[in-house]
Amino acid sequence: MIRLEDVTKVYEGGTVAVRDVSLDIPKGEFVFLVGPSGSGKSTLIRLMLREEGVTRGVIYVAGKDITALPAWKVPFLRRSIGTVFQDFKLLPNKTVVENVAFALEVLGRPRSVITPQVEQVLDLVGLADKGGRYPRQLSGGEQQRVSVARAFVNRPPIMLCDEPTGNLDPATSVGIMKLLDRINRTGTTVVMATHDHAIVDAMQRRVVQLSNGNVIRDEVSGRYETMAEQ
Amino acid sequence: MSRVAFLLREALVNLRRNVLVVTGAVLAVFISLGLAFGALAVNELVRINTVAWQEGVHVIVWLNDEGRDGVPTDAHQALLGEVQGWDEVANAYYVDKTAAYDEFLEIFGDDPDMIDALENPAALPTSIRIELNDIDLYQTVEFRLQQQPQLIQKISSAAQEIEQISAVSSVLNFLGIGLSIVLGASAVILIANTIRLAIYARRDEVSIMKLVGASNWFIRVPFLLEGLIEGLVGAALAVFSVWVAGRNLAGAAEGIRLVNLQIPNAFFLRWGIVFLLFGAAAGVLGSLLGLSRYLREADGGRPAGARRALEPV
Repeated sequence: MIRLEDVTKVYEGGTVAVRDVSLDIPKGEFVFLVGPSGSGKSTLIRLMLREEGVTRGVIYVAGKDITALPAWKVPFLRRSIGTVFQDFKLLPNKTVVENVAFALEVLGRPRSVITPQVEQVLDLVGLADKGGRYPRQLSGGEQQRVSVARAFVNRPPIMLCDEPTGNLDPATSVGIMKLLDRINRTGTTVVMATHDHAIVDAMQRRVVQLSNGNVIRDEVSGRYETMAEQ
Repeated sequence: MSRVAFLLREALVNLRRNVLVVTGAVLAVFISLGLAFGALAVNELVRINTVAWQEGVHVIVWLNDEGRDGVPTDAHQALLGEVQGWDEVANAYYVDKTAAYDEFLEIFGDDPDMIDALENPAALPTSIRIELNDIDLYQTVEFRLQQQPQLIQKISSAAQEIEQISAVSSVLNFLGIGLSIVLGASAVILIANTIRLAIYARRDEVSIMKLVGASNWFIRVPFLLEGLIEGLVGAALAVFSVWVAGRNLAGAAEGIRLVNLQIPNAFFLRWGIVFLLFGAAAGVLGSLLGLSRYLREADGGRPAGARRALEPV
């Protein structure tokens, strides 16, 4: 589903964020990108979203080389990727329903499609009764559920999550992880950058560890840290 | 349909959020187009009034009396015949002493002092009234007439006044056009600024729109609509104000017979549409200018090839 070949990203000023990274993420997989701050996790996510261009190397998403994608086609790439961030990125002046519907409105979907789809996804994230509330009236965990709902309402084949539990307490984080797990089980490929040890250890999924922009470990059913590190 | 409604709603939200800046942009369009349209209306007034002149007599040749000072007895009719034969002349007719007195009475009938002052009606000179094919030819005609000094007492020409009015109006036009260009440019720049501010105010929304895969045009259209509306409203205000001013001027000047201050509605309709289109174009141009930096950033980085060439590692 996602393949990176010798991807290097050098920012202006010479900072190397990602160095010669090669990764192959098959369809339906759940992958954790782990590592300390500045190890290149977020940059990888941004590269897969084409929020940044690569300096060298090629990234394939669904068989297409997205590094060669003309600018006008980038929105089509993003429609096939749901994104969840640490800071939720909700619009404060829109209700829960409006925030989720926004993702479909900008794609020009008719209201007859938007209404049932939003209802369905809010039901999935457990916020069916809070559709009329504004983000400020929700807890952090609930806000993140809205953001997951918005990412998933379009049923994208890929979800990219950058520290989705970074602002949440452990109990709330578990709820979000269960949600992402459910979404993954519908066949959606999930890539999640995190430095939450407990979650990675509990989920027992593939772990890709980064350090200074290099992949230093890629385990099929891994933990946050190797036994040796512990 | 829902897509159009969505885009329109977004544009209206933009307008409502930045009322002050939007008002500034609308006023800039209003002032620049209002001045340009006003200059055009003044020009139209000058044209209408010179047309009235042009339809009338252009040159009056005051003649010395026949049978005196060596003027032959049939000289007046001979000159009339000659003048009527000239290519530049559309029409020429003779005003004899009786007709001249009638005209005198018509003009000064209300003024007994003037009538008393004219001791002898026969003292009024006869004249030939000439209409020209083209007003610019008056100098040629004047020159030809001057070849017969013994017959001619004086040549008066309205063409000179018309030329002076034309000169004044062309200066006014020049000033009007110059001002309009400067103000028009400032209107475009102001609209560009309001659009840039609107994008800044909505940067979170724009980034989320990009994140969920809204096309760049979908993101841009509300801002283009915003500029379009600002340009159109400013232009409509300008056209309306000049129209109202024109009406008032015509109303105030109703009693005056010498000049015609009535601008036909057809003029306002024709040029009003042109100015509305111009305002709309200025609005869209301003939006595109305001969006230009955003357009460059919106693609999320250039394709790898382009970047590789630019940034050697």
